[in-house]
Amino acid sequence: MTAYLDVDARPILRSGGEPFSVIMAALERLEKGQGLRLYAPFKPVPLFAVMADRGFAHSERALDGGEWEVLFTPVEAKAETGSPSGENAPFAPWPQPIMELDNRDLDPPEPMVRILAAAEKLGPGETLSSLLSREPVFLFPQLERRGFRWLGGFRPDGATYELTVRAPS
Amino acid sequence: MIGGSISRWTMTYFAAAVTWLLAALALMVVGIGHPAADLAAPDTLVLVHVVCIGWLSIAMCGALFQFVPVLIARPLFSERWALPALALLTAGLISLLAGFMALGGRLPSAPWLLPLGAVLLVTGFGLVVVDLGLTAWQRPTGPARFVLVGLASLCTTVAFGTVFAFALAGWAGRIGEVVLARGIPLHAIAGLGGWLTLTAMGVSYRLLSMFMLAPDVDDRQSRLTLAVGALAIAATVAGGAAAIGFQAGLNTVLAIAALLGLVCAILYGRDLAGIFRTRKRRHLELNMRMALLSFASLAGTGLLGIALVSTRTLPTHVGALAFLAVFGWLSGLVLAKLYKIVAFLTWLETYGPVMGRAPTPRVQDLVAERRATKWFSIYYASVWMGTFALLAGEPNVFRMAAAAMAVGVVGIVHEIIRIRRLEDVTSSLRLPAGAVAPHLLFAKT
Repeated sequence: MTAYLDVDARPILRSGGEPFSVIMAALERLEKGQGLRLYAPFKPVPLFAVMADRGFAHSERALDGGEWEVLFTPVEAKAETGSPSGENAPFAPWPQPIMELDNRDLDPPEPMVRILAAAEKLGPGETLSSLLSREPVFLFPQLERRGFRWLGGFRPDGATYELTVRAPS
Repeated sequence: MIGGSISRWTMTYFAAAVTWLLAALALMVVGIGHPAADLAAPDTLVLVHVVCIGWLSIAMCGALFQFVPVLIARPLFSERWALPALALLTAGLISLLAGFMALGGRLPSAPWLLPLGAVLLVTGFGLVVVDLGLTAWQRPTGPARFVLVGLASLCTTVAFGTVFAFALAGWAGRIGEVVLARGIPLHAIAGLGGWLTLTAMGVSYRLLSMFMLAPDVDDRQSRLTLAVGALAIAATVAGGAAAIGFQAGLNTVLAIAALLGLVCAILYGRDLAGIFRTRKRRHLELNMRMALLSFASLAGTGLLGIALVSTRTLPTHVGALAFLAVFGWLSGLVLAKLYKIVAFLTWLETYGPVMGRAPTPRVQDLVAERRATKWFSIYYASVWMGTFALLAGEPNVFRMAAAAMAVGVVGIVHEIIRIRRLEDVTSSLRLPAGAVAPHLLFAKT
């Protein structure tokens, strides 16, 4: 039976905060074999890949009002292969963004052009953040191909998408 | 991969679809099928299926392979099914058309052609429906719901069509004959109304709000539009099947469906007006201005339907009504959106990998709107002229209109090929280091 540590990202996001570092801090407190239970106001899809890299399988459940409960369960086989740490390990809290873009009023696909142009200027491990009016679905494959990590989600109002992009270290 | 990657075979679907559209226009110019022949004549069946399967359905499937993953921000269930599905659809359509031609005495009698075509089409559409259905089902919200209802309607349409094909071959027994004798309106309404119209509506919500910087239509509002539309199709199919089973008249069922369809179109108009009103981008690109003409044609279809019913002339002019719906509303919208989608996907495929690393053109630098405006204007004007020619019972004027439509379509297709070949991009920006020119017929990524 896996024990879970609870993290509720909903109040953090509601107050406009960035929950990523809280989630990562919680991960560091986990004991061996312990899982993480996350509550979020949206389905935190980008986090799934990050957690899978760290050896956590996810299972999600929709709650009322568009909210989600996600269980991250350690996969034993993976967890025992040693820690794939390194400077780019997603455990470490991300640094504050060195650039904050507001791309909400730009014609598509201009937000994508600006974010990629700005991302190319980031130093290793640095981050930028951007506000958008939609989920930038066509941007993600481009970021992935260039080795960038990202985290994003809609604010509770559902109208503004907040994206943080981190350059590879 | 998370998010919207480029669908490899969407351009292949578009190319196949446009080829069938040109074939349909050639048939109309030559005078094969309605109005030269009766609505139920084999020649008309050839024409109708070239347009509805070859052109509209294949174009729609190609667009959905690209846009369903975007609508729900999830990858397609299986990219590998797309090309076999296209091959099956093409082979099935050719077999079906040959079967109709044999029925009309244009080819030696071969009753097995129609069932063979039906089986191939069932398999091809089956792959499409399962692939897109499983994808959309992961996050059935907003526009994705329209797609799911559209796919369900596609299944219904194909099921009816299969029964007809087997009945025409004499392989469907007594029940098949009864369904064939009276079920054709149900097949047509499920196909044009459920599959093509509801799907086009759903995709248009997202495309319009995305490209005009408008907030998405309120979910409750679009859900009502969809519910009324879905009810119209369900009433037609269920009520119609019951009426056929109990040997009752279809008129009551069709009247209810028409009323619901009209309400659905009005609600859709209200949703569209909301998108245009709340858009942040004041300037309308060509594809949006042309989409407006398509919406006007949908409204025109509704008004024409009311006029024909109230003057009791609907049975005489049902061909004109269907022509306006198919070429003014559906084909007009698909052509307008093709123009934008091809430009956007070509831009993304070519310049995505070098974006931010080298100067790249804007999407609008790939198109020459002034030239394209002329071809779209010719297209819409001739569609409306063709509708009037059908209403007035002037087959020769109709053929002239079809020829003018063909000129417009050839012009639009030429523009789209120029977009794909980056011919309108300034040469200094065309291929920055690291960018690869796209292939005309498929995406390399």
